[in-house]
Amino acid sequence: MMKFWNKRIKLGVLTENLELEDEIKSIQKEIKDKVKKKFAGSLAIRMVDSGSCNACEAECNALSNPYYDLERLGIYFVASPRHADVMLLSGLMTFNMQPHVLEAYEQIPEPKWVITLGDCPVMAAPFEQTFAINAPADKHLKITHHIAGCPPSPLEIMQGLLEFLRKI
Amino acid sequence: MRFIARYAKDKGRVFEIITVYDTKVEKEQVHKENPVITTLSHEHLAALWFERKMQDDFGIIIQNAFDKRPLVHQEQFPKNLHPMCKDFYAKELEQSEFQPYDYEVINGDGVFQVSVGPIHAGIIEPGHFHFSQAGEKMLHLEVRHFYKYRAVEKMLEGKTLQEAKPIIERISGNESIAYQICYRDILLQASQQELPQALQKRHAFLLELERIIHHLTDLGFIPNDAGFGAALALGSKLAEDARRKMKELTGHRFGFGAIDLQNKFVDTASLHEWLDAMLESITYFEDWITDIPSLWDRLDTTGHLPLKKAVKYDSVGVVARASGLAIDRRLNSFYLKHGFELESELSGDVAARFKVRIAEVKNSLKMMHEFLEADESSLKVGSVADGEYMSFAESSIGELFMAIDIKEGVIERFFARDASFMNWQVLHVMMRRDIIADFPLINKSCDLSYAGNDL
Repeated sequence: MMKFWNKRIKLGVLTENLELEDEIKSIQKEIKDKVKKKFAGSLAIRMVDSGSCNACEAECNALSNPYYDLERLGIYFVASPRHADVMLLSGLMTFNMQPHVLEAYEQIPEPKWVITLGDCPVMAAPFEQTFAINAPADKHLKITHHIAGCPPSPLEIMQGLLEFLRKI
Repeated sequence: MRFIARYAKDKGRVFEIITVYDTKVEKEQVHKENPVITTLSHEHLAALWFERKMQDDFGIIIQNAFDKRPLVHQEQFPKNLHPMCKDFYAKELEQSEFQPYDYEVINGDGVFQVSVGPIHAGIIEPGHFHFSQAGEKMLHLEVRHFYKYRAVEKMLEGKTLQEAKPIIERISGNESIAYQICYRDILLQASQQELPQALQKRHAFLLELERIIHHLTDLGFIPNDAGFGAALALGSKLAEDARRKMKELTGHRFGFGAIDLQNKFVDTASLHEWLDAMLESITYFEDWITDIPSLWDRLDTTGHLPLKKAVKYDSVGVVARASGLAIDRRLNSFYLKHGFELESELSGDVAARFKVRIAEVKNSLKMMHEFLEADESSLKVGSVADGEYMSFAESSIGELFMAIDIKEGVIERFFARDASFMNWQVLHVMMRRDIIADFPLINKSCDLSYAGNDL
């Protein structure tokens, strides 16, 4: 265990002063007010994959690594739609996933929002329409915000979430 | 004889069934009016999903099979539609009446069912797991997938190889480089060209980089699923470092579009330094984590896959190697010359898969030193000849197989078999001695792809 603590002291804090940090600072009060007023201090996100290549999910997982540490902004990924304020939807809305995505959406308590993640749900990725794809997602759900990219990097996802918070 | 894949082609009046083994390829034709073939699933259990897929895709009837349920087509998929037939053109389908799926279950006094998925609690791809439980103990697990079925095989038909590339590299994000290498090999076969050694080295370097990103992520997530979060913090930090290196070298964090035929300038001196630093980090990680007895208490003996079963199910990749099966597509002169060593364990449990991943990261780093070369050679692709082509690559999960038929310059049939397609079928065998709380840990230790499996 000593080895670990030595390493920890040597490494220090990794969480970066990203380019985003200035922007975060400037709107921090705004986020805080909005998150406090609308989300009781924390924004809970339910990530749903409706048929992606798994790159968007990998980038969302990367958001919790020590470099980005999303939770310091009061934004959490939660385990159930019933705990969520926002559905973060990636993927092509496949024929087989569509009923399950809609079911998950039903389970989110009001008020609720949908953010689409990556190029797939808006059919902007190289994939083409087939019988097994029911994208774009706005045919089935009301989309409040879209985060573009294939996949969007963790930084772009953070920026997208901030834009969403400004929007509502 | 190791079974690799089985798939069908629509050839006008007949269906052609291709069966691929490690030593030979068998072809069989059946007339469309009476499309009946005999199952291989008694000799090779993993043939089952291939045959059930064929039955959905083409309407081919599988004789003597012990399982004839639909695989790809789910409850609300219109009945009697076979979308891989050439006369199927629909671009849109209506959800049809719900027809319950007949799950494989064990019945008995006090035995109950647990259904999990398709949407899971974490940030993870969708798939369904159906458990038969006696209290905490898992009696049986049925893995049910194809929620992410995008019909990539159909989507690619009628496209030129060039048009198909951006789609192929996005089939499975974690294995993009491996898919691109399979594609590259087919492109080279079709244009009858040889790859310059320097380009081959660059591609091999990127494939190993992809492997260490994937392995490092798992090295964090596996202990995390056993309740040891500190490993995730360190593992995900190292994975992020490697992913940023990928971005620096290819312009994309996942290497989409990275395998081209143009060598770019790389700063080899700084990369050697980076590789050394990475090796130091992983050595520290190994040293540190080996010393946590409460973690190994969870990893040891959990999710045991005996060698006999690994052979019976024709498993591949990390799963096979952790059970003592020496299967790796990198076992060839090119890789051996650059320091490849086949890493394997005998115990076949979560701990073995964890240790194989650590060893592979170290071996990859060693090989990456050898692959580095300052060279800016390039290759121009000639015209592509019609024909039937096959290729293999070793992705971070295991052996990837790809087959493309080209007719009149465009893709006539595309088929890919991800390592996951084989290994998902053996997952239930690993559950026999464990409780349901161990399932996430066992599943993560294999870290199979859903997207690559479902296509």
